[in-house]
Amino acid sequence: MTASFFDFILYIALAVLMVAFFLTIIRLAKGPHLYDRVVALELITSISAGIILVYSMIADNPIFFDVAVIIFMIAFLGTVAISKYLTKVD
Amino acid sequence: MEITAAIMIIAGTFFILVAAIGLLRLPDLMTRIHAATKATSFGLLLILSGLGLYFATWQITVKAILLVAFIYLTAPLAASVIAKSAMVEKDDR
Repeated sequence: MTASFFDFILYIALAVLMVAFFLTIIRLAKGPHLYDRVVALELITSISAGIILVYSMIADNPIFFDVAVIIFMIAFLGTVAISKYLTKVD
Repeated sequence: MEITAAIMIIAGTFFILVAAIGLLRLPDLMTRIHAATKATSFGLLLILSGLGLYFATWQITVKAILLVAFIYLTAPLAASVIAKSAMVEKDDR
């Protein structure tokens, strides 16, 4: 197969990831409680890391891989920090 | 090799889309955590496998395996922390 077929697959993957991003934004906007929004934000960071991974294949530049690594680390730290902050200690 | 990578990337994005639909459609917080954690982890595993097959160099493959290990270590931990905090603070919700 030629390279254009693989690029076509990558653009379809980007479109599907953007649809998933939009659905998660809806849940983030109308989440009934705060924890739903925390889960939605975690999923948003995962989806954006997936978008960056797919874009690193489109741009054919593996330097974007490190961006995804950093995003995952920050997402994990942020989720744990928010959950620990929301738990009242008394 | 590119066919396998393309199939893996499409399958991974499909799993992430399923996770987003589950987060939007499921009725409860715990089911939403269940949808958003496992399907996303598996989808990112598939996308990273496709990326390792696409670049097909030694360094990228090792970094992809390490990132998969990191995701599978931290995603259940984050979900557990959120669920525990929500269970403790159930009176406020």
